[in-house]
Amino acid sequence: MSEQLSILKKIPSWVYYLLTIALIIVLPILLGGSAYWRSILITISLNIMLAMSLNLILGYTGQLHLGHSAFYGVGAYATTLLIKKAGFSFWMAVATSSLLAGIIGILLAFFATRLKGHYLAIASMAFAIILHQILLNWGSMTSGPLGIYGIAPPPPIALFGLEIKFNNQVNLFYLISFVALISYIVLNNILKSPIGDTLRAIREDEVSAASLGINAKLWKVFSFGVGAMIAGLAGSFYPSFVGTLVPDAFAVIESFSYLAMVVVGGMGTMIGPIIGAVVLTLLPELLRSIGDARLLVYGLSLTLVVLFMPGGILQAIQLIKTKLIK
Amino acid sequence: MSDFFYLIAQQTINGVVMGCLYVMVALGLTLIYGVMNQINFAHADFVTLGGFAAYFFVKWMGGGYLLSILVAFLAGACLGYLVNLMIFAPLRERGDELRPLIATIGVSVLLENGALIAFGPVPYQFDSPYDETIRLGKIFFTTQSLLVVIVASSSIAALYAFMKYTFIGKALRAIAQDRETAGLMGINQAFLIMLTIVIASAMAGMAGAMLGPILVLTPFAGASVIVKAFAIVIIGGFGNMAGTIIAGLLVGLIEAFTTQYLDSGVTDLVVFALLLIMLLVKPTGLIAEKKEENV
Repeated sequence: MSEQLSILKKIPSWVYYLLTIALIIVLPILLGGSAYWRSILITISLNIMLAMSLNLILGYTGQLHLGHSAFYGVGAYATTLLIKKAGFSFWMAVATSSLLAGIIGILLAFFATRLKGHYLAIASMAFAIILHQILLNWGSMTSGPLGIYGIAPPPPIALFGLEIKFNNQVNLFYLISFVALISYIVLNNILKSPIGDTLRAIREDEVSAASLGINAKLWKVFSFGVGAMIAGLAGSFYPSFVGTLVPDAFAVIESFSYLAMVVVGGMGTMIGPIIGAVVLTLLPELLRSIGDARLLVYGLSLTLVVLFMPGGILQAIQLIKTKLIK
Repeated sequence: MSDFFYLIAQQTINGVVMGCLYVMVALGLTLIYGVMNQINFAHADFVTLGGFAAYFFVKWMGGGYLLSILVAFLAGACLGYLVNLMIFAPLRERGDELRPLIATIGVSVLLENGALIAFGPVPYQFDSPYDETIRLGKIFFTTQSLLVVIVASSSIAALYAFMKYTFIGKALRAIAQDRETAGLMGINQAFLIMLTIVIASAMAGMAGAMLGPILVLTPFAGASVIVKAFAIVIIGGFGNMAGTIIAGLLVGLIEAFTTQYLDSGVTDLVVFALLLIMLLVKPTGLIAEKKEENV
């Protein structure tokens, strides 16, 4: 058994990437023509991006940030409004609004550089509440609680002379999971570089990190900026997938569900939040017969994992692995 | 007297009534933070469940409203005891700062959505027998709001006196100042922390019973109050009782006057903008406690 495991470690990473791409291509075909399962696949891709980006801030940099829904909301609303009111093309709007989300992340980081622990938790939550309230109250721009309806899917793109349309959910899934994969590669490279060690040093002990010449403030700003940008990027694909945009999709409680994905999967690891996002998106769907138990499942799993398995599902898998080797 | 004066007086009364309720909730948060440097997110749901406990006590068991406040008090105390037993006590031994916070977020989401499934999203009309209107000139208020102010101020005063003048209160303040030294002096920390959480949660439950007839009772009643309570404890200075009381009344007043002069939809916006400004300008709050390790 242990020999087989060591073989697994020798496989170069491009093999895993190829396997992932193959899985992405095959999944919507395997699940047949069900529009329900396809929309779940897209939701999973978006949630993976949100969980990974929150994990950069929470898991790697150690900043208890409870306002991730704000960045997601900025991405979603900015993209839609830039297209609708300012006449931007879809892709320009996506790029601009993820940048905007990143800038807003940097703004929040100015709080993070001054506050710690619980203060940051409340400040970031207040930040998300303020954004939610702005979306609700700025009626002339956002149509308030009524929301914006009839949002078009992304425009078709030409690839190798083929026109790819995104009004079908399979292509939309390919597009969004491609974006998620790119985000993973970017984050993975950042975290494998010395920057990753710097962020982890800040998480473990800020004072010691500073004594080694690490500019903790600067790197916190970096972490919030990149995290917010990826959340904003996920957000900018959300409206064209769902077709409608209401402020409540970005209420503070949604930040808690991303928190649950990160913690349940395994905080501070690359693969953990992905597992968390997949499990916590699928589980409520499987329990749908009982009723709308999505948030109930999130709350319960979050509490149980913190109490009994602080490393999340990843820790559970490793426990099982070591038992098998013995 | 001019109408303007009456309007100001009317909104001041409205603000003080809501402020009293906020203080009752926020004081609990501040007390818990004081003794163990932790935030209990599920505090919000103690407010909600206290309100529901009182409602069903009146509705099903035919109990009186005043007695139902006591029921809510007990319900809050039980919930607080359970959360301490299952979350705070086991996690305290592992000594992680953020984990209990994340766990109570889980508990809060769980309780809130459990309540949503059990009670449904439709607001419950919780009628208090104290619904007579008192009129002073052009100023109106109900006997219920009078009751809220009386119950809230007497329980706040009792708590204040308890912390200031009793031996247990002194021990609690000792833990807040320096946990290790307090332990060396033979203070039973685990018991006192449990007691603090129970008292704080009982106050939250009681606030829920009084909130019900003023607003309406929904599974999210507590959540809307708690976010303001968070703002209040930070504006007042975490762990400081006097600061919390001042900030609570201040937030109540801000809310009343924002509703009057701007729009009821933007009250949260104003309160949280104030909170963020406060965090930037004076993160230690109105009245700073001596320890500043979190700022």
